[in-house]
Amino acid sequence: MIRPDPGGGNRGIRNRSWRQRESDPGTAPVFSLRGAGVRFGATWALEGVDLEVGAGERVALVGPSGAGKTTLLSLLNGSRRPTAGRVAVLGRDLATVRPSELRHLQRRVGTVHQQHHLVGPLRVVHNVNAGRLGEWSLLEAVRSLISPTDVAAAEAALARVGIAEKLYERTDTLSGGQQQRVALARVLVQRPVAILGDEPISSLDPARAEEVMQLLAGLAGDAGRALVVSLHAVEHALRHCNRLVGLRQGRLVFDAAAAEVTPVMVEELYRIDQSTDEHGEGAA
Amino acid sequence: MLAFAGSLVHAGLGSQGTLNPAGWPQLRRFLAAAAHPATSPEFIRLTLDATLTTLAYAVLGTAVAVGIGVVGGVAISESWWRRPPSGRPRRTGRAGEVGPWLASRLVVSLPRGVHEAVWGLALVTILGLDPLVGVLAIGVPYGAVTAKVYAELLDETPTGAFEALRTAGVGRLRALTYTLAPLAFPDMLSYAFYRFECAIRGAAILGIIGAGGLGFQLALSFQSLRYDEMWTLIYALMAVCGLADWWSTALRRRSALPPRTIAGLGDVGDSEQRLTGATRSALGRDRRLHASAAVVVALVVVSLWHLGVDVSTLWAPRAQRLASEMAASSFPPDLGVEELARLVVLSLQTLEMSVIAAVVASLAGTAMAFVIAGGVEAEQRAGVLQRVGAGAARGLLLVCRAVPPPVGALLLLFVLLPGPLPGALALAVYNAGILGRLMAEVVENLDPAPARALRSQGASAPQAFCYAILPRTLPRFAAFGLYRWEVAIRETVVVGLVGAGGLGRLLAQQLAAFDYRGATATLAALVVLTVAVDMVSSSVRRALR
Amino acid sequence: MNATDSLDVFEACTTPLRPRTTRAGTSATRPSGRPLRRLPGARMLLVLAALLVVTGACASTDGATHGERASGGDDQVFTIGAIPDQDPERLQRLYGIVADHLGEELGVAVEYEPVTDYAASVSLFRTGDLDMVWFGGLTGVQARLQVDGAEAILQRGIDERFHSIFIANTAAGLQPVDDVAGLSQLAGKRFTFGSESSTSGRLMPQFFLEQAGVSPETDFAGAAGFSGSHDKTIELVAAGTFEAGVVNEQVWTSRTEAGEVDLDKVTAIFRTPPYHDYHWVIRPDVVERFGDDFVTRVKAAFTELDPRDPNDAEILELFGAEEFIETDNDNYAEIEQVARDLGLIAQ
Ligand SMILES: Nc1ncnc2c1ncn2[C@@H]1O[C@H](COP(=O)(O)OP(=O)(O)OP(=O)(O)O)[C@@H](O)[C@H]1O
Ligand SMILES: [Mg+2]
Repeated sequence: MIRPDPGGGNRGIRNRSWRQRESDPGTAPVFSLRGAGVRFGATWALEGVDLEVGAGERVALVGPSGAGKTTLLSLLNGSRRPTAGRVAVLGRDLATVRPSELRHLQRRVGTVHQQHHLVGPLRVVHNVNAGRLGEWSLLEAVRSLISPTDVAAAEAALARVGIAEKLYERTDTLSGGQQQRVALARVLVQRPVAILGDEPISSLDPARAEEVMQLLAGLAGDAGRALVVSLHAVEHALRHCNRLVGLRQGRLVFDAAAAEVTPVMVEELYRIDQSTDEHGEGAA
Repeated sequence: MLAFAGSLVHAGLGSQGTLNPAGWPQLRRFLAAAAHPATSPEFIRLTLDATLTTLAYAVLGTAVAVGIGVVGGVAISESWWRRPPSGRPRRTGRAGEVGPWLASRLVVSLPRGVHEAVWGLALVTILGLDPLVGVLAIGVPYGAVTAKVYAELLDETPTGAFEALRTAGVGRLRALTYTLAPLAFPDMLSYAFYRFECAIRGAAILGIIGAGGLGFQLALSFQSLRYDEMWTLIYALMAVCGLADWWSTALRRRSALPPRTIAGLGDVGDSEQRLTGATRSALGRDRRLHASAAVVVALVVVSLWHLGVDVSTLWAPRAQRLASEMAASSFPPDLGVEELARLVVLSLQTLEMSVIAAVVASLAGTAMAFVIAGGVEAEQRAGVLQRVGAGAARGLLLVCRAVPPPVGALLLLFVLLPGPLPGALALAVYNAGILGRLMAEVVENLDPAPARALRSQGASAPQAFCYAILPRTLPRFAAFGLYRWEVAIRETVVVGLVGAGGLGRLLAQQLAAFDYRGATATLAALVVLTVAVDMVSSSVRRALR
Repeated sequence: MNATDSLDVFEACTTPLRPRTTRAGTSATRPSGRPLRRLPGARMLLVLAALLVVTGACASTDGATHGERASGGDDQVFTIGAIPDQDPERLQRLYGIVADHLGEELGVAVEYEPVTDYAASVSLFRTGDLDMVWFGGLTGVQARLQVDGAEAILQRGIDERFHSIFIANTAAGLQPVDDVAGLSQLAGKRFTFGSESSTSGRLMPQFFLEQAGVSPETDFAGAAGFSGSHDKTIELVAAGTFEAGVVNEQVWTSRTEAGEVDLDKVTAIFRTPPYHDYHWVIRPDVVERFGDDFVTRVKAAFTELDPRDPNDAEILELFGAEEFIETDNDNYAEIEQVARDLGLIAQ
């Protein structure tokens, strides 16, 4: 089993202590995990993960099915609490912040899901505007449902992803690829400091996949945002990200700059383990 | 639509004073008795016996209904009447296929236009004090609805295999049993269980008009204002209703049964949740299904035994004599100008009652459904308050649908002046109990991911609710409300029987005066009204879909 | 898709894919949560089935007898009934004793069958499920109109000159009056009758109210209520739910004498003129089943009740009667006329 190389890569910040970083939100990394673990029933979906992601980094999470990629991402956007260890966003420990501050932090992290998780019966403009909910009051939110507010921003975001003309269509009439773009536009209007993606391209044809990855990398690059994206296609990871994190059976197997990842590391990561057939069956 | 409803609500509420504050102490005493139900051993024994009686009526009624449903459903399905694709020139043309099909549809829409309580009253006059009255009063109208739904299920099933067999010269019935029936079976089973849930409530209402069981005891205890006894009986009803609900939900959710279909409404759950062929084939192996089959057999046997059903009463000379006497005294219906004018006025009142009931029930049911859904969501977020709220809401809904509407109306008569309003509100409360549960099931089955996605990017719970839950549930809720409206119009009769207004009140007066010709006319008006509402509601529902 | 997704995950990691090693290693010491959580469905259903069979067996004794009789096959039982005009418990006690008494006197099996409303007692008399019923004036007429040859045979002494009592909540500001015209003060009040088909709780009171110019359809606050029984009328008027109501005199007297009525809250305001009321009506076919002299023997069983005999005295007392006397169909012609006028008998 490959252990992370303690000396290599862009590991500079790692040497600073947790406490120090937490007290200094200005220079704190966007995400910081310390011994983080998640247990479902008797099994640990994630165990002892240490990870830091700084502004401007483009990190790919790779690993076989069931490795814990989705679970890790859900820790980062605060939708799941770790069973063990700590998770900090922008230097703030999510376990100790007040609910209002948690929402404040969550507003600054945008997530794109493989299944989009859009609301089918709503028009596209509302699904895009849903990215603003964190900054809107309930009243503003309801008013916008009745008559859309800030249409210009929504339209600009849609234009950026190339489907401006779909503004007033019902979302469930759009194709899968177009819906993926709506989800991207939603993240855009949210103006987050970090973008998370959970297999954002696995349902797209190769050309669309390439386009979306470029868009994602571009959106992140625009404003020095951090990008953390789980991918099954290692070649996409190598092409669009500057750092790869390998997960296997809930453990961090490697964490290396894209340039340092070798075919052997990848092969080891996806190796089908004969003795415990637990996670291998869906890897293909 | 809403404005229409609003104006009618206004019409109902606006007529002079309607509140009777002097009755509060009585209602309070009734409510307070909830904390100390009667628990003497004799009364518990009586309650158990009554529970078994109610259950037995529901079980046998459902069995009859499913029997009628299967036979009738096949007979009125389009697939049955469609002739095999063949080279033979058609002699009769399309009319030859559509004619019998249409006629058979009409035959089933009549029995279900009349509430099971009215069936009960009619059957009593023919069969007398016989357990078959309760069984048939449930079985016949439910059988008609079941037949209609089964026919729709059969017609919705892909017919490729069926037609292939028919072309190969296989007989209709054999082709059906080999192709359509196995495919439609899970849905049909699921619907049968939904009918059983309804049958328990129906059996309780029948009890009130004299069939025995929990409703009967409830009426007796109410007559002497023994609130503590009433609560014991209500708790028993809640237990039976709750158990039936739990059973059918458990089967649907955990077994290979599909989400239930309600009277052609489509699924309650997300349509995406429909099960694949693979899970369906697991149906035969499911342990829970086997256990359920065992329970059903046990229930049927115990019910037959407990009620002492003897079908020979059906063709006994007495029944024949009484039936012909009844027929002679019921026809022709009283349809003079004066009677017609009165029927029109009262029909409007009945319509008004049903709209108030449906609208209030939909609003209350929606609110409760979301409270419950909030609790489900809170299970991941440790929101103790929400979970307690959800539990309370579930309990409240169960009480609402366990108290038969005639009893509810009498309770409301403590604090409201006699008239249509207490009846309408009693129906509203009862239907809110049923709708709330159906709606909660929809919300619970809803894919939580979109809402969770919004929450994870910082939206508040109410915001996520407005953007991710409401838009996906409201159309379906509206459909449920409309469906319940049809039911409510039939149910106005049962509250009418205890004096709340509309056609039901007139019917009660006519029955008390043994004016069967008048009663036939009133029933005809009710059927016309029901069919009209049915048509309006199903066309609006189709538009919503 | 996604809602089932999580379920698939759940199913997948519980049963079929659970590695054999884990199970062998840990399940002996630690109950694994999942399989247990999955079971209750099936197990509870089986428990339910068992429970049902047990309750079924327990209740079977009454069930079987009930079923036998209800299926109507047994001609040898003489079934009596009564309009449910009072508390069901009271009726159950009274008619239980009456059934026993008749059984002894007549030498046949006698059973009392309770019903929930007045019209049902008429219907069941018509179908033959009830052989003899204690009817009110109106229901008796209705019953005889539906069963050719049915006969009014007995009434209490008081039923020859029966009265209704209008009662009022003391806070309602209603004054005692002694002529029918005085009932006009009830206009605009919240008022309840007893049962819809009651003679003393509805028919005759409505007749007198209309004589006083008060129409129950329109002149009360809201529509007139129908409490269902005399006891309930007293209770609801005393509680103030209704400001006024009307009950039969015998029930009123018996409840006030027993001290069961709070006279500070509810008071009598008017006693109506007399009319014929309650009576036993018997089906003609009893003669074929129980012998030609059966009706005579039934009459004797009541007319010979002796107030000095403690058992007989109890029956008389529960009926609120001093004696039973014979009656006949003609005594109810007036009631029938009033009922036709008020539309309570069709045509
Ligand atoms: N809600 C849950 N309840 C129980 N177990 C879960 C739950 N969610 C995930 N798991 C388990 O946790 C482990 C990690 O799951 P996760 O979804 O994070 O994997 P993944 O790396 O995203 O896989 P994939 O590439 O297939 O999406 C798996 O074994 C999975 O079965
Ligand atoms: Mg995943």
